[in-house]
Amino acid sequence: MDEIKLLIVDDEVEFASALAERLELRNYHVDTANSGTEALKGLGSTYFPDIILLDLRMPDMSGFDVLVKIKEKHPAIEVIMLTGHGASSGGSSSLEKGAFAFIMKPVNICDLTKKIQEAYKNRTSAP
Amino acid sequence: MSSIIHKITHYLTIIVHGIDKGSSYKNFRFMLYGAMFAICFIPLIVVTGLSSLEYKKLLEKEEEEQLLWHTQGTQKTIEAFIHELQSVVKFVSKKYNYNELLEQENVSELFLRLKDQYPGFVDLGVIGPSGIQQKYAGPFRLEGYDYSDQDWYVKVLARQLYISNVFMGFRKLPHFVIAVSNKLPGKEEYWVLRLSIDYETLQNYISTVSTKASQDIFLVNNQGVLQTRSNIFGDLLETYPFLKPPPEGEIIINTANYNGIKQLRSFVHIEDSPWILGIVKETYIYGEKWSSFRHRMRLIFLGCTFLALVVIIQVVNAITDRLREADDKRNVAMTEAEHTNKLASIGRLAAGVAHEINNPLAIIDQKAGLVTDLMVFADDFQHKEKLLKSIDGIQDAVERCKVITHRLLGFARRMDVVFEYIDITDLLREVLGFLEKEALYSHIRFELAFAENLPMIFSDRGQLQQIFLNITNNAIDAIGEDGEITLITVLREDEDIIDISVHDTGPGMPPELIKRIFDPFFTTKEAGQGTGLGLSITYGLVKKLGGNITVESEVGQGTTFTVSLPVNNSHKGGGLNG
Repeated sequence: MDEIKLLIVDDEVEFASALAERLELRNYHVDTANSGTEALKGLGSTYFPDIILLDLRMPDMSGFDVLVKIKEKHPAIEVIMLTGHGASSGGSSSLEKGAFAFIMKPVNICDLTKKIQEAYKNRTSAP
Repeated sequence: MSSIIHKITHYLTIIVHGIDKGSSYKNFRFMLYGAMFAICFIPLIVVTGLSSLEYKKLLEKEEEEQLLWHTQGTQKTIEAFIHELQSVVKFVSKKYNYNELLEQENVSELFLRLKDQYPGFVDLGVIGPSGIQQKYAGPFRLEGYDYSDQDWYVKVLARQLYISNVFMGFRKLPHFVIAVSNKLPGKEEYWVLRLSIDYETLQNYISTVSTKASQDIFLVNNQGVLQTRSNIFGDLLETYPFLKPPPEGEIIINTANYNGIKQLRSFVHIEDSPWILGIVKETYIYGEKWSSFRHRMRLIFLGCTFLALVVIIQVVNAITDRLREADDKRNVAMTEAEHTNKLASIGRLAAGVAHEINNPLAIIDQKAGLVTDLMVFADDFQHKEKLLKSIDGIQDAVERCKVITHRLLGFARRMDVVFEYIDITDLLREVLGFLEKEALYSHIRFELAFAENLPMIFSDRGQLQQIFLNITNNAIDAIGEDGEITLITVLREDEDIIDISVHDTGPGMPPELIKRIFDPFFTTKEAGQGTGLGLSITYGLVKKLGGNITVESEVGQGTTFTVSLPVNNSHKGGGLNG
């Protein structure tokens, strides 16, 4: 199986680093960015992810805005939204904007990897 | 009137501003009653009073006119009678000369002829120039009587024709005299023909002209001595004390009270006589007219009063009830809005808290997970198992916290009105999740009898949660301690309706409470314990979602609320897919 490249975009550094390490232990290639701006800046130059795990609430840019920009420039990359916020419209809005899934924190690692696999499959099967 | 209007306005202001509503409505109602009564009854009383007064005046005027006609008629009749007597005396005195009448035979014959024609004639006398009665025909022996110093004799000499008052005279019997003086041919001396007429003749004549239209007819002279009997004021020759002689030729009418009876009295002079005709009648001789008018007026007044009372009571009650209803509705809306705002604030607060906790919780979770991962991939070492167990404990605790924060976020979501497909069984479980601790502490068990394979319903999650939260909360409150709440879901397939029943083993309610259970501000809880709005809001929410809510209860048997929800709600709009 190909190594799946992931990018975790989350302002919570501790969360991002721990999650990255855990996913790496599960044979994923993981990069982390601590803001939307950083992620968008590095995409295509520093980061070449298949799938992005994107936090919804960040101080510089909201996850929605980042999602929209990613989908504009890199429509092939699948985005899984991760959030600790429970606004009901968050889920439906992000799905409408092209996110693959919407998962609430704290997230079970097994559930997450399952979703990542699904997203990767979806990405490769896409035309 | 303006003060009443001012007071009504004052109470309206109080009601609008909601100060001490109970007594304000009562006062407002009383003031409105007062104003309406005044508006209706003042004109009614004035009109009734004025009508009575006018009609009374009209009757009095009519009565006076009738008395006037009656007096004129009677006056003419009596005057005709007097003139007839005068004519007879004048005729006789012209026909016979003094010398002829000095023959007793002639006098007696003349007297008999006259008496034959007028039985009232008592006697006839011929008085010579000296005032001595020369000849006499009649039942008494009065020949030779000297009348020269008698008043009537003096007057007849002066006036030629004279009618006397009724008097007793020498014969001691009441009578009156008609006398004519005639000049002796070629001399400056007068002889007098004198006819005495029985007083009864006059009395009988008066009696014949008396009618039902009057109570009393009598003759009185200028000195107030009765010349005929009066039914009211006394017998012949007694004094009538109230006489005010009328001017010649004029009829005077006055009113007077006599022994408590109001009388109309008319007086008029009888021409060529010393008499005044008096007619007395009690007022309201047409009593029937007056009493029937009063009876009719009373009936009309009572009828109008009754009608006005009914209308006023209905109108005032309707106005006050409408006002109260409108006020209640406004209060419900305001309280509902307040309630919603409060819930929204709590929701926002809960969401904020949940989010703030979720992030560090996620860090704990991932760090613990990482430690576990590292240990799993590492070689065995001392206390490895113990550490793994401890980290599992941490992750279990994180999982519990996650359930709580997700529930809080779910509560926050209730504030957004979003129609979506909902699994009613899941929703009920979620609601019970909020209440299970409370139920546990109160020793209340939940019995669930959920139908399997219920279709998803298209509705608003938040509002449904609120509905079942309210009903179940009420059930817990009703039971208090120790009991059971049974939740049953049933699908009515033919109607595409899901019935959700919540039955409690509380004390139940009598029918009069059941009727009011959904009324706003109706509560059986102690003051300050409930707003009385829970079930009212619940009712409103169920209706808003196109459903229906019913209640069955029996004292001692508990209460069952049944919410019926349509599977395919007509409120369909955009929503989540899945």
